[in-house]
Order: sequence, then structure tokens, then C-alpha cells
Amino acid sequence: MSERILEVRDLHTQFFTDDGVVQAVNGVSFDLEAGESLGIVGESGCGKSMTALSIMGLVPEPGRVTSGEIRFRGHDLLRMRAEDVRDLRGRDMAMIFQDPLSSLNPVLKNGFQIEEAMLAHKELPRRQAWERAIALLRKVRVPAAEQRARDYPFQLSGGMRQRTMIAMGLANDPAMLIADEPTTALDVTAQAQILELLRDLNRELNTAIIMITHNLGVVAGLCSRVIVMYAGQIVEEGPVEQIFERPQHPYTWALLRSVPRIDAIRHDRLRSIEGLPPDLISPPNGCRFHPRCPFRVDRCFREEPPLEQMGEGRRAACWVTMERAYAEMGAADLADVRPGAGSGVHAIQEVDLPPQNPQQTWGGTEERVG
Amino acid sequence: MATSATTVDQLIAAPVARAQIGLWQDAWRRLRRNRLALVSAAYLIGLVVVALVGIVYTPYPYAHEGVGLPYMGPGAGHLLGTDQAGRDIFSRIMIGAQVSLIVGLATQAVVLAVGVPLGLMAGYFRGWIDTALSFVISVFYGIPDILVAMILIVLIGKPGLGTIIIAIAATRWMDMARLTRGQTLSLREREFVEASRSSGGRPAKILFGHVLPNALGPIIVQATLGIPAAILFEAFLSFLGLGVPSPTPSWGSMAADGIHAIRIAPHIVLAPAIGLSITLMAFNFLGDGLRDALDPRQRR
Repeated sequence: MSERILEVRDLHTQFFTDDGVVQAVNGVSFDLEAGESLGIVGESGCGKSMTALSIMGLVPEPGRVTSGEIRFRGHDLLRMRAEDVRDLRGRDMAMIFQDPLSSLNPVLKNGFQIEEAMLAHKELPRRQAWERAIALLRKVRVPAAEQRARDYPFQLSGGMRQRTMIAMGLANDPAMLIADEPTTALDVTAQAQILELLRDLNRELNTAIIMITHNLGVVAGLCSRVIVMYAGQIVEEGPVEQIFERPQHPYTWALLRSVPRIDAIRHDRLRSIEGLPPDLISPPNGCRFHPRCPFRVDRCFREEPPLEQMGEGRRAACWVTMERAYAEMGAADLADVRPGAGSGVHAIQEVDLPPQNPQQTWGGTEERVG
Repeated sequence: MATSATTVDQLIAAPVARAQIGLWQDAWRRLRRNRLALVSAAYLIGLVVVALVGIVYTPYPYAHEGVGLPYMGPGAGHLLGTDQAGRDIFSRIMIGAQVSLIVGLATQAVVLAVGVPLGLMAGYFRGWIDTALSFVISVFYGIPDILVAMILIVLIGKPGLGTIIIAIAATRWMDMARLTRGQTLSLREREFVEASRSSGGRPAKILFGHVLPNALGPIIVQATLGIPAAILFEAFLSFLGLGVPSPTPSWGSMAADGIHAIRIAPHIVLAPAIGLSITLMAFNFLGDGLRDALDPRQRR
């Protein structure tokens, strides 16, 4: 068993806006092991980026981490002095961003920007730093690295820019690299190349990668474990193959169903998830997904499901779970479930709920409490 | 078909062979196409040469009275004639050019040294620094420039170039601080600043390494356009008798000297006035040219 480098416990990050407190991250807990590649997926605004920025200590105004614990290689990041966290940033943990053009300073040469990440952390002769910058560009497979280092960002293609960003992130051999939607701004070919590069770097350098994306294909190609977030919370977690094969949370199931598959036998319609992610100033009571969930039961309106262990290395937060939906509906019926709130509920309602809920009422959706 | 590895490498390296075009080269290319800015730059270079020559050589000693008859018109002996005390106007124009250039450039140096760091800090850290700076700027804007300058000149009490430079800079630093603050406010939100922070960059490094280089264009333009304003203000102060003390000539004090005799010897006023006008125009044209060159998007 390898070393655990990151432990996040009950993380809460909130934004104090004029309209109210936005609960961007709400009680997120997870671990990351050395050399692991973890995917965090979810729709826009589900808190994945904010989780990453909380770890990096870069939550923008007016947001702030309000409670919880983040331990990175024995450091308690939330209780460290800001300068000490800054020393870790870029050295032991690095982050790459979505848009590589705007993340590179337009008036500085590429090599200089890679160099800077090194020089911020150690005394190094400029010459040596420059040479390492070129070596890093080679490592991320930038052709003609020496010339590229002397170019400005606008002279590179999108893929080359993202490689430059990755080189910046790798400048000090970090133990953990957080990639926030690194391929979203790229065309498909460049996407595939960047993913392959990240996969190789993950293997070669044993750098742990947290891949934040809304693209399930990216997760499938790169990650061994995946966390699904919804409305600031983790709703499901587990090994990638298992999650893809048999999701437990209806949100994960719906998310997977909304991905076009080239190998689909049946020519199903793409099923989008109806509705919008909830308002995080006043999130819905009970399960936060219930307003959009096809399989909701009464309990979902009232009680928040805990993130429970469901077999080896798997967790899910759902009162119903897809396991029951499979068991009770069968694959064919399930495929016909329309997206939208409560549409699959008739099949579930027929059976008793697990015993941990003694006073289950069967009143239907009108009982929703405000 | 022998597509060797070298060929592929050559193909990959091929686009690199094009000329390295940085942002400054690009700006220079655009500036070169602007005739008016180029002529202005040439004139200003000429003015600098004249001022420099004035250090070691003037046709006549500039402070000597009676090197010619009073009120002589322009002619062969005295290129621009003489003033009411029989001093050679051309020699005095040369020294006046020194004064104008020193005041213009030094004032902007002070303005940059004060305004840019203040603006960077206020824009980046915001909070109380920003509040305090904005308050002080508002106070300075509330007092007329001439009053600020006069109070400072009286307070410092030592007439001379240094006093004038400080007095003028005190009326002009706010624009620079405001401009830099505004630029910083927008630049601090850019992703490359966040990227630098995520790689452990310190605030000083971020401000001077990332924010300032991106704000440099507007700052240069503002500084260039501030030079003629400072020169004009110095001439104005000297005209009022608050400028550089006699016998050092300034274009402003020369005009003041000649104003009494404007009917009989207009050249005494005209020579410094025309010199001043052309110089101001040249700086303004150059500043406009720089703005167009450094920020082509702003062009209509």
C-alpha cells in the first residue's frame, strides 16, 4: 500500500456574497495516494474546481474555507501560515488550468515562465534553470524545445501551450498535480495527446494527478479512481471501471447516460439530465439531487443520504441506489426511464425501503417540505 | 521514399525559422509606419542634441548681458536676436531646452517612481491600501494644481530645478497611480496571475514580473504624454516667476521677459513660445503614436 499524500476531511468552502452564503464545497472528504490518478467529475458549478482551489489555498474572494481539514504530506494546509503554503505551491503541489493561453503571461517567453516556477523555490543559476526549462519542454514532448522556449505564448498552438503549462507544473517535481479541465479548451486530437502525456507522466514520474473534468471520457482514459460531485458534495466514489459499469448514484447513472457512445448497439436518444444544478445559497432539503432524480422516494425530500460504504473502495450517497433500480426494473426498463424528476419512481415505490427508515410515509411528492 | 527522422525534424523546426517577433518589435513596426510620430521623434532627438551641445558650447555666454545691443532682431550675428538686456536669445534657448527636457523627464521619473508602485499595491492588495490611496488621490484632485505647486515651492523654500520637479510631480502622480491601479485591478484577475500564484510566486514577483510588464504599454504612453504637460507647467511657473531662478533661462521666463516689449521686439516672446509649442506638439504626437503602436486594438 502506497503512501497517502492527501487527506481531505469534511471540507467546507463558502462564498460570502451580497445575495447570501454560497456553499460551494459542502463536507467533502477523500484521500489521494502517491502516484494515483483520481478523477473528479460533475457538472459546472458542482464544486470540483473550488475543491481544488481550496487544496491549493487559492480560493478567490469573497470565498474562504470555513471548516474541515486538508492534510498534504503531513502538513495541515489550513492551519499553516500563508507563506508556508506558498512554499508548497509549485514545489510539492502544482496546478494547471483550463485555458492555457490566458494562463500564460503574454509578454513573457515560454521558457522564462517555466524557469520562474523553479526560481520561486530554489536558488538556481539562471543558466541551469533555463536548461531545465528546455529539458522539461522536451519531457512534455514539445518539438524544437529550444526555439519554443524563446517563443512567446501566442506563437504556440493550443496543445503546445497546454504542454508548456504542464512543464511549468512539473518544474519542481511535485508530488501532486491538479489539472483543472486541462483539455476543455483544446481540439480533440490535442486532447488525446495531452491525456496520453499526463498518463505517461503519471506513470514515469509517479506524480499523483487529480483530474478535474466534466468529461467522463477523460476520466475513463486517465484515472483509476473517480469521485462524482454534485452541488458541492461527493455523491459517489469508486474505481473507474466499476463506476462506469454499475453506477450506484442516480446522478452518476444519468451523467453516464448523457455521454454519446460510439459503440452503442441500440440507437438510443441521448438522455440529458433535466433541470439545473441547485442554487447553492439555499440548496434543496434532503438529498440535493432529488429535484432532478428519476428514482426519488419520500425520504429523499427530507433526509440527506450519508456517503456510505458500498463494497470494496466504493461509496455512494443515495437512499435508493441504482442497485435497487437494476434489481427492480431490469436493464431494458431502466433504459426507457425518461430524464426528469420522479419519472422512474413508480417502479421503486412498489417495494419497501430498507429497514433503517422506520416511519416511511407513502404520501407522494406533495409532502415536500420547503 | 526515404522519410528519415531528420526530415521530420526539419519539418517540425521549419516554422521556427521565421523571424522572432516579440511584442516590442511588433510595436516598433507599427510605430515606424506613423510618419508624424517619426518626425516628432526626430525633432526631439535633435532637441536633445541641442541641449547636450549647450552644456559645452553656446554661441555666446547665455547669462552675459550686453553681448549685443538690446532688442536686436534675428540676423547673422545673433541667430535669434537679443533680448532687452542684450543677451543672445539662441544661446538662452539652448539652455532653456536643457531646463525643459530635464523638468519634463525628471518629473515623469518621479511620477513613475511614486505612482506605479502605489497603483500596483493598491490594485493588487486592495483593502485599506486602496482606500487610503483613493482618498489621498481625491484630496489632491480637489486642490488646484497651481496651488499644490506653489505651496510646495514655498514649503521647500529652496528655489531650483529640484524644487520645481517635485512641485510638478506632486500635481501629476495621481493620474499614473490611478492608471496603474486600474490596470492592476483587471490584470490581477487574469489566469496567468493565478497560475503564478499556484506555482508559488511571491507578491513582489507577481507584481513586477507579471502585472507590470502587461501594464507597461499604457504606462509608457501616459508617461510620454505627461512630459509635455510637465514642460508646459514649468514654463507657466517660470512665467509667473516661480520657476528656475535667474540667470538660468527657461522658455517660460524668457517669454515673461519679452512680454513687455512684445510690440517692438516680438521675437523675444516668439522664440521661446514657438520652441515650446513645437516641443509640446512633438511629445504629444509621439505619445499618440506610441499608444497606437502599443495597443493596436484601441485604434478606431
